[in-house]
Amino acid sequence: MSNATLERTSDLSTRRLAGIAALVAAAVFVLWGLVAPASTPGRILRVMFTKSALSATLRLSVPIAFAALGGIFAEKSGVINIGLEGLLIISAFTGVYATDVTGDIWLGLLIGVVSSVLLAALFAVVCIEFRADQIIAGLAVWLIALGLAPFASQVIYGGPNTASVETFNTITIPGLAGIPFFGALFDASPMVYLMFVATVASWYTLNRTSFGRWVIASGENPKALDTAGVDVTRVRYAAVLISGLLAGIGGAALSLSLGQFVGNGQTMVNGKGFIAIVAYLFGNYNPVGALLSTFLFAGLDALQLRLQAAAIIAVPQSLVRTIPYVAVIVVLALFGKTRLPEAAGEHYESGEDR
Amino acid sequence: MSAGDWRDRGRSALERLVRASAFERVLISTAALVLSMFVGVLIILAAGRMTTCTTAATTFFGVGFCYDPFAIYDSLFLGALGDPINPLFKPLQGEFAAPFRRGWTPLNSQMAVTLRETTILIFTGLGVAIAFRAGIFNIGMQGQLVVGALATALTVLWTSSLVSGLVGTLVLIPFGLAVGALAGGLFGAIPGALKAYADANEVITTIMLNFVATSVALFLVANPFKDPESPANETVGLPDFATIPSVLYEPRDNFSIIALGIALALVGASYYLLEHTSFGYDIRTSGIQPEAAEYGGVDAARTIVSSMTLSGAIGGVGGAMYVLMILGNYQTGVPSYGFDGITVSILAGNNPLGVGFAALLFGVLKSGSIIVDVSTDVPPQLVGVLRGLIILFVAMPEFFRMIGAKFVIESDEGQAVATDGGVVEDNGGGSDE
Repeated sequence: MSNATLERTSDLSTRRLAGIAALVAAAVFVLWGLVAPASTPGRILRVMFTKSALSATLRLSVPIAFAALGGIFAEKSGVINIGLEGLLIISAFTGVYATDVTGDIWLGLLIGVVSSVLLAALFAVVCIEFRADQIIAGLAVWLIALGLAPFASQVIYGGPNTASVETFNTITIPGLAGIPFFGALFDASPMVYLMFVATVASWYTLNRTSFGRWVIASGENPKALDTAGVDVTRVRYAAVLISGLLAGIGGAALSLSLGQFVGNGQTMVNGKGFIAIVAYLFGNYNPVGALLSTFLFAGLDALQLRLQAAAIIAVPQSLVRTIPYVAVIVVLALFGKTRLPEAAGEHYESGEDR
Repeated sequence: MSAGDWRDRGRSALERLVRASAFERVLISTAALVLSMFVGVLIILAAGRMTTCTTAATTFFGVGFCYDPFAIYDSLFLGALGDPINPLFKPLQGEFAAPFRRGWTPLNSQMAVTLRETTILIFTGLGVAIAFRAGIFNIGMQGQLVVGALATALTVLWTSSLVSGLVGTLVLIPFGLAVGALAGGLFGAIPGALKAYADANEVITTIMLNFVATSVALFLVANPFKDPESPANETVGLPDFATIPSVLYEPRDNFSIIALGIALALVGASYYLLEHTSFGYDIRTSGIQPEAAEYGGVDAARTIVSSMTLSGAIGGVGGAMYVLMILGNYQTGVPSYGFDGITVSILAGNNPLGVGFAALLFGVLKSGSIIVDVSTDVPPQLVGVLRGLIILFVAMPEFFRMIGAKFVIESDEGQAVATDGGVVEDNGGGSDE
């Protein structure tokens, strides 16, 4: 017991040390940039703190953040949902297809979300009812969507890419949108606003409602929850369906912000579902933390494109893209386990029917 | 009672268990295949309703469909073998003729495609299976394959100027395969060490390392090691003597029966390693009961690292084969052999002998998808859907057991099989977290 506490404090202090080191490095960088605006850090700062950089970051964050929020619900309840990528792919395609057919982008979004929820429901049944290994079933969800979306696109549109449909109009708040840099927050697609709302709502649900407590208990100590008279299976079903709902919004928002589904290779989703997993691990299963780490990864991507365009530093895109992945490996290596919920990955059988 | 005695007892109990469930595993895999094919039929029919055509290809219950699922499966499976069946051979209608089409030979070029895909899939499937048996989910096979392939392409290219001719072939091919094994093994050792010594979940780290491997390989091939004369991102081609020579098949088919022979030898070797050596015993016990294995004197951390290294090394050899036999250089856009290897291994119940058969099935599917693309209107991505469905169904043995229980009343429940090659415990724990 005392040993565990000790380990925890030492763990915290390494974490804190690393955090302080990162902050100091950032402060030095910013100071250098401010003192010498002509130096490389100065020029980077100028590119970084532009309205367009922030708005690109927000746009790139939407699918990752939604998928990450969904992943938190599923994993907190004890079901590891590695199929987030698949949920993004299926809703990205269905969202565009439904918009194309109905002619209404909001209806398209809704149908896209429904497709993702259905796929999540299949995943839930397979994992909870038929006790499948969650990792393998999640992999199957990804692979099914990866095959099905380009297949359907080929059948319907005659190619892996769909036709173009309308995109979301940006909502501009007059006055506030004119603020330098932060104005991007008030001049964005409705999906960006929804992302902030969803993050706060997820945090509130998980931390302040009894459903949130059930979700956490079902992942940490399902037996206790069962004893308290709450049906663990139902809580887990609900959590997985919520993950389908949130990832569905993310996927449909991704394709509808471009107005097209691109189905070549890894499709337009291209690993965003996996980055989402990284994001919530980084954020230690906290919705707000997950959103912040999403901003970090999306911001790196947005910054890199701009640095390249402004010919300040020519870091190849392929290498910048590896930063989130390398970062998560380093963090896992240095600080050991991100603590998974106690019963994550395990099937729970209520004692009654045995 | 001595410790060795206990060990022997444990071993025989374990073997009985594996043998008892082997039959059930074959049943589950077969049922999963059949069910996937059936869902595939429904998908083809649905797709046939969503597209438009002037004449219906087939009619069921008075409804016309644009695609005929049976014709599609015919192209998929028989097309992959080069259409061996004589059109006059219809035993069901009482017409008997020579079963094989005149002029068909097993050495046709489509067969070569099927077998070369099978060869690579045997490597990736075996790699995944060995890690799986040690209780480690190696999703990083794709990255290990990519690293092995790139390392082989570069080192063989550099050394090919030192030797030439037949001597060059005899030296460079084993050297290239060894480099692939080394590179893939080292890359596989990273998540192994992270799991063993930092307790980092291998599912997360291997997924991340896949992206790292692909992106870094893309960078290297697009910048420092790019073939300056090619518009694509690829390395300079290897000289002919540095690639695996074709035997029996045409050189343009890019298939060598020697490579298949090496793959099959590795199947046998892996089986022997797992079932008849003490290292294999350590791997299997760590996979089934890590605590018990450690109690029995197995060094858990070392077993994790060494089985991941072995797994990555086999994948790396697969990558080397891909370069030395199929491509002749390294190009970006490596097919998803690594992910298919996971499917192959799961379908095979993580048994090396089963991997041979499962790899052949997926070789047929991959090669047949080319025929489907060329000769029918159905998109070849159908095979991708089938792959996902097969994994999904194989992952839920409980489903088939429930169906089975409806028809057969069993007196003895038997031991449940988990997809990770272990045995389902009471709480059904599949993953090792």
